[in-house]
Amino acid sequence: MLDAFEIISTSGVVLWSRTYAPVSPSVVDNFISDVFIEEKSTVAGAKDGASATVNPPYKHEQHSLRWTFSKELGIIFVAVYRSLLHLPWIDKLVDNIKAIFVSLYGDQLKKPNTMIVECVKFDEYFDQQLQELEQGSGKPDARAFIVEEISGTGEDGPPLSFSLAHNQKAQTNPSAESSPTATPNASRPATPGASHLLVAKAGPGGKLSRRARKIQNSPSAPVSSGDEATARKGKPAKTVKRGRKWDADGLADERDDVQLDYSIPAVTSDSEAEAGARPAAVEEVDASTWGSRTKGKFVLRDLGDEVHSILADADAKNAAAKTDFQSGIVGSSLSAIGGLFRNVVGGKVLTKQDLEKAMKGMEEHLLKKNVAREAAVRLCEGVEMELVGVKTGNFESINSRIQKAMEASLTRMLTPTSSLDLLREIDSITSPPAASLRKARPYVISIVGVNGVGKSTNLSKICFFLLQNQYKVLIAAGDTFRSGAVEQLAVHVRNLKELTAREGGKVELYQKGYGKDAAAVAKDAVAFAAQEGFDVVLIDTAGRRHNDQRLMSSLEKFAKFAQPDKILMVGEALVGTDSVAQARNFNAAFGSGRSLDGFIISKCDTVGDMVGTLVSIVHATNVPVLFVGVGQHYSDLRNFSVKWAVEKLLSST
Amino acid sequence: MSTIDTLKAAFEASLTPTPSVISIGLAIVLLIPIILHFIFSATTPYTTLPSVLLVGPSGAGKTALLTLFERGPLYHNNNPAVPTPVAETHTSQTPSTVELAVSTDRPTTTYRTDLDATGATAKKFLLIDTPGHPKLRRHALAHLASPSATITPSLLVSPAAQKGEGAETSKSKLKALVFLVDAAALADTDSAALSSTAEYLYDVLLTLQRRFLRRSGSRAPSNVPVLVAANKLDLFTALPAALVKSQLEAELSRIRKTRSKGLLDSGEADGEVVGGEEGEGWLGAVGSDKFSFKEMVEFDIEVEVIGGNVVGDGPGADKWWKWIGERI
Ligand SMILES: Nc1nc2c(ncn2[C@@H]2O[C@H](COP(=O)(O)OP(=O)(O)OP(=O)(O)O)[C@@H](O)[C@H]2O)c(=O)[nH]1
Ligand SMILES: [Mg+2]
Repeated sequence: MLDAFEIISTSGVVLWSRTYAPVSPSVVDNFISDVFIEEKSTVAGAKDGASATVNPPYKHEQHSLRWTFSKELGIIFVAVYRSLLHLPWIDKLVDNIKAIFVSLYGDQLKKPNTMIVECVKFDEYFDQQLQELEQGSGKPDARAFIVEEISGTGEDGPPLSFSLAHNQKAQTNPSAESSPTATPNASRPATPGASHLLVAKAGPGGKLSRRARKIQNSPSAPVSSGDEATARKGKPAKTVKRGRKWDADGLADERDDVQLDYSIPAVTSDSEAEAGARPAAVEEVDASTWGSRTKGKFVLRDLGDEVHSILADADAKNAAAKTDFQSGIVGSSLSAIGGLFRNVVGGKVLTKQDLEKAMKGMEEHLLKKNVAREAAVRLCEGVEMELVGVKTGNFESINSRIQKAMEASLTRMLTPTSSLDLLREIDSITSPPAASLRKARPYVISIVGVNGVGKSTNLSKICFFLLQNQYKVLIAAGDTFRSGAVEQLAVHVRNLKELTAREGGKVELYQKGYGKDAAAVAKDAVAFAAQEGFDVVLIDTAGRRHNDQRLMSSLEKFAKFAQPDKILMVGEALVGTDSVAQARNFNAAFGSGRSLDGFIISKCDTVGDMVGTLVSIVHATNVPVLFVGVGQHYSDLRNFSVKWAVEKLLSST
Repeated sequence: MSTIDTLKAAFEASLTPTPSVISIGLAIVLLIPIILHFIFSATTPYTTLPSVLLVGPSGAGKTALLTLFERGPLYHNNNPAVPTPVAETHTSQTPSTVELAVSTDRPTTTYRTDLDATGATAKKFLLIDTPGHPKLRRHALAHLASPSATITPSLLVSPAAQKGEGAETSKSKLKALVFLVDAAALADTDSAALSSTAEYLYDVLLTLQRRFLRRSGSRAPSNVPVLVAANKLDLFTALPAALVKSQLEAELSRIRKTRSKGLLDSGEADGEVVGGEEGEGWLGAVGSDKFSFKEMVEFDIEVEVIGGNVVGDGPGADKWWKWIGERI
């Protein structure tokens, strides 16, 4: 069954939600940061408007999330359910809920400077949809859910008792009409049991604005209709819960005070009955036959009609938008002239055609900067998506708008999720805070990459930097494969010793000659460093081609043996189209639990503004660039600055 | 015929340099720019509501605080002392702005009373929530960096979020900055929370410091005060405000030290002095070993640490509200 349904604004506020089983907020938090912020999902651009069928489901632990997104209003619709379940109607539910919610509350959502959206009444619409879709999905399915729920009842003990207590309270002060009464005890057919009992906890009474609550409590407000065809047991209880608007036979309100009063005594017995009935799952199933009461049917049909007309409207609008799009190309000459004018003055609402040409130009531009086509297309699609329907500012041309949006996209892509301050990280490992339980140990960095990209050189540059900061560094010659590799490192070490003799650092080479297993050498080196009190171990590895299966597979063992704190890959700023595949293969080579921690991009001084490789590899792996090499000297290593890269990428020469 | 004649006459008259024609022409020439000005200024209303910026790492409770201030607390039925969660929140992707009012006539102690009495004496301001995700911090920082006193809330948003007109193009004077931290997360020494929080705070303070150093002329605006709000004190694992302060100060000293020794950023030429000029790259007082928030006074930045909580049972958010109220 559905665990939760949430409607969230991009600013992070839950506008409306329904919970059937407790779901940790971190599930949705992770979903948002992975899909929307870090864009880890493979297809960017499948975002706005796309129906939930198109958006790839997001999986987190045992939950699956189905979602859709309204860019215009900045709201996300997400359904959370157990991955084990097969819910054929879930996409439809998400899409329909979106259509209904947008049509009902779209105007409220556009109001500036407020986060409040009053959507208490939305409960009814949601229940209606859920019921309708579930019924549509046919009997066998429904039965499956029942089984699911019953088995769930056992585990969900505490919430159950909570909800019972809740009911009790409602009886003790019926006159107060505090929010419990108003809490929609929505329930659905075919899902008796735990789910609707849990609802009480998640009812909107607890999280709406005071105004909203007032409305909810005021007599005329329709309180959510728990739908009828369901397993709620006592009839009188239903009357209380449904509140006024739809009384017997679907007649509107008025007489309800009387009704309410007379139903109260019955409540108690009902809730007792409920407590008694709890273990008897069979009865729960039975109870669904009670649903055929006419009362509720009326309500449901009315609401159903409204919902259907909303959905039909939304469909029509979609279709209209499509035809508009075609006739828009012909366009009246007047609006064309107006468009030209607005192009200059600004204040133009951007359409897909407006953007098309400019986006092509942007794509070309990125390709010229050496960005891999795949990455350029993704970036441009993202920007286009973002800009359709946006109004340009005063005196702002389309191009400058695109430029701005692209700058933001690039920045977001290149900015690492956690920043790296290498020195501080080393300090925290080599001398952990007194309160922590960790033991001091050397910090291990290993460097990987294809042949000839400058692994040893960049390793030496990092070493030089560390030596300048008075660390004791051990360099491990992990390249036991290519002849001359060890000697090359020895030369570097000798140079470094000379250069930094007066700075106070210390550097040694750890080598076991050729032909040994690199992983074993690395492991020994780390053990040796721990013994001898080195602060940092830098492990060089043999260069390997990313499509060389045999050598690539040995990386997994290497990562397991050496347990590096950081695995850095050296990539060349020069490589063209191959960069994406290289980065991907290396990133995947360390086994399931490990990936690259960062890139060092070498030879950046040789490419001028054409730093597109940076973008390609970050696009391919979501691994940040940490350092860039900018020359031949040991001191030519730089922290990667996002601002610098973005400026270069967008510069027009 | 006669119509053509009159037209002709009118045309001729309009080309004859009589005083009336000249004055009409002049009027048109002078009025058009004015009319245009009004058209444009009408589409970009200039509100002068002051604003307060909410920053801090993800999960600190910024959005939760914003909704608390906007909606007021709801009390759980069984226990009126404990406000229920105001609204559930999730990771923010875009900034958001709400308009709030703090009353000025009586000493305000709680936002609850302010909410009820939004009378004529109330002072309105905008509270701006920003996303704390590391990839999305740039907008907030970029705005702090600009030396002008105003910020444009809409520009905090990624370009796409600007739609329509209205308040989105308005400018607003930045009056204060609230840096929210999760005091419960800081207590866990093995997690990266302390260092990542301090890193963000470091960036914020350094940006403000640079803004002060780059200010132009004597007309320059005074700097913004900073409130470090230690949130989630309702949890028993949370560090008290005093400890939050000392931990942050210690971590900031560490960051300051390693940053000064770190590599240059790409794009910075070798010749450039990294931190030499007016202590551009060095946070706080030059030459001090241990960082303390007091050092920021030198740059006209007042930093205060106050504890509180948004949900649950604890000191609440009243003190923060009071602090904000005093600075509007
Ligand atoms: N216990 C406790 N939890 C809190 C408190 N304030 C906020 N939270 C919870 O912390 C979580 C994160 O709060 P948010 O307001 O979404 O965090 P944020 O700072 O806006 O995070 P981003 O939008 O990602 O930058 C929510 O689940 C809140 O309920 C508090 O005072 N005490
Ligand atoms: Mg937030």
